[in-house]
Amino acid sequence: MKILVCLKQVPHQDARLDIDGAGTWIKEDGIKFEINSYDTFALEEALRIKDAGEAEVVVVSIGPDRVTQALRTALGMGADRAIHVKDAEIDGSDTLGIAKVLAAVAKEESPDLVLMGLMSDDGNASAVPPMMAELMGVPSATAVMKATPEGDGYRCERELEGGALEVVDLAKPCLIAVQSGLNQVRYASLKGIMAAKKKPMDTKSAGDLGLSGVVGAAGAKAQIEKIYAPVRGEGAEIIEGSTDEVVTQLVGKIKELGLL
Amino acid sequence: MGNILIVTEIKDGTIREASYELAAFAQKLGGDVKSLVIGSGIAGEAESFAKKGGGTVYVADDASLANYNVEGYAAAIRAAVDASGADVVLVSNTPSGWDVAPRVAAGLDVALVSDVFDFQDGAYIRRVFNGKLNARVKVPGDKAVVTVQPGALPAFEGSTDGGTESLSVDTSGARSVFVETKLAESKGVDLSAAEVIISGGRGVGDPEKFKEVIQPLADVLGGAMGASRPVVDAGWLPHEYQVGSSGQVVAPKLYVAAGISGAIQHLVGMKGSNFIIAINKDADAPIFEVAQIGVVADLFEIIPALTAALQEAKG
Ligand SMILES: Cc1cc2nc3c(=O)[nH]c(=O)nc-3n(C[C@H](O)[C@H](O)[C@H](O)COP(=O)(O)OP(=O)(O)OC[C@H]3O[C@@H](n4cnc5c(N)ncnc54)[C@H](O)[C@@H]3O)c2cc1C
Ligand SMILES: Nc1ncnc2c1ncn2[C@@H]1O[C@H](COP(=O)(O)O)[C@@H](O)[C@H]1O
Repeated sequence: MKILVCLKQVPHQDARLDIDGAGTWIKEDGIKFEINSYDTFALEEALRIKDAGEAEVVVVSIGPDRVTQALRTALGMGADRAIHVKDAEIDGSDTLGIAKVLAAVAKEESPDLVLMGLMSDDGNASAVPPMMAELMGVPSATAVMKATPEGDGYRCERELEGGALEVVDLAKPCLIAVQSGLNQVRYASLKGIMAAKKKPMDTKSAGDLGLSGVVGAAGAKAQIEKIYAPVRGEGAEIIEGSTDEVVTQLVGKIKELGLL
Repeated sequence: MGNILIVTEIKDGTIREASYELAAFAQKLGGDVKSLVIGSGIAGEAESFAKKGGGTVYVADDASLANYNVEGYAAAIRAAVDASGADVVLVSNTPSGWDVAPRVAAGLDVALVSDVFDFQDGAYIRRVFNGKLNARVKVPGDKAVVTVQPGALPAFEGSTDGGTESLSVDTSGARSVFVETKLAESKGVDLSAAEVIISGGRGVGDPEKFKEVIQPLADVLGGAMGASRPVVDAGWLPHEYQVGSSGQVVAPKLYVAAGISGAIQHLVGMKGSNFIIAINKDADAPIFEVAQIGVVADLFEIIPALTAALQEAKG
């Protein structure tokens, strides 16, 4: 059993978001990065499958040098091997480009199961997993809250609106994109971090994957023209002052609403 | 925008409101509009949609399509794209929409633009960084599958000319099989009845702080506690406290959001509240968009002081 987990490294949830000079993304220098929150749940799910039986867990991430840190963390948590796809040629790819790269990695690895996150916390696309599954020709399910082995595959509970669930069986090989909260994510232990130093990390380029000229900004079918701080409409009346002054105003308002 | 294909969604036998919003989005794009209805025994709905924004409606009516299945629905959409010659395929960003749309885009080798809420000056507008920033996305080749955020546009209310055409879809060979739908479990805590909800988010930091800081404010106002999703994910509070698209939709007289950034999935669950007070350290947090009163401060300074002052005011 081989499980491929796709991890994206994203700006830390509390990082300052300043728009870069080109106006198309945020300034990356000086901010902290972390593994995309949804992907930590995907990795945990893979490690639980490994703990319950036998599985090799391979983690893959596309991105610049900083991404090795995310991969090291994953190895520290218990993944067996890492693949870092690093190539300036991939910069500026749209979600389809990223899916093509990951599908090429999957083709080399032929995993029984691919686990990913539902959505990236930076791009918020929720696009790469089903695209990758389509390119691989395997069944997929997104927003999965529970996956249990069933027959020759997995029985998945997909989250619908309001907390309803849709149960679907996927035959292996298959791809599952998890929703947050399906498990409690472990931390890397000190022992795990030490062991991770000896675990293999391969680096691959677009050319290695046979995708030279196919991905990257030139091949992107969707392009961000500009990112900007939204105009907040009418927005809230911001009340300022000392804590006492603020509290006095809030109490006044709550009285006005007839709630006291 | 060339030819547009609206992919409608059936829920409990009828076409969802979100599909009529797609019809409005199609008008905004401008172009020749055709539609697709997928399901079993849905010919009547298709007839009516043809007149209410759909134009020519392709009907993929088959027992195997009675329930959503990613491969079957992707096959139906592909067949409709072939039949209509669509350049732009519009899908609602619902649990089935976000599941199938990227597969269709990848299969057609065209752009996917997801969770779009507007189209302005030739670009699709969508949120990034959980609503902290917006992006203008261009599709140079014009061909795209676009998912549209439910509720972003008012539903189309005009009329259109059109009839239906049946579409045959080959759903054999699917390797994913629908089993059943499980309804949401009945809630131990029914937030919909609360007049006051004090909700805490990831900014509250840990479960103890919910007891020490959030609960007392809820108590003094005779209200209930609520929470954002990460609070429930981390196990700080059970799921019945979750407000949002995958939790409860609430509309109390007063909703206090403390340490909640205001991602769209949270906003859809509480923006209908009568009065909203947001407390957040970050002046740019999107929660301030829907609040009537915003306090840019540390919730741990404001809330205990507010609780004490309310206690005193009550005497
Ligand atoms: C399909 C889907 C369904 C979802 N369903 C839901 C749902 O039903 N409900 C839901 O809530 N989310 C839902 N989400 C998740 C949603 O996208 C956000 O991730 C989530 O709402 C963020 O929660 P938060 O605001 O608590 O955390 P964050 O976004 O991390 O915000 C924390 C905030 O706390 C502030 N803060 C930190 N410390 C303090 C302090 N001391 N004082 C004041 N402010 C402070 C920070 O400035 C920040 O704004 C869903 C997502 C998806 C993809
Ligand atoms: N650069 C990347 N490297 C590895 N995995 C990625 C990358 N980008 C996206 N993914 C995966 O795709 C999921 C959804 O991302 P997105 O479609 O961008 O919202 C993420 O949760 C990851 O599992």
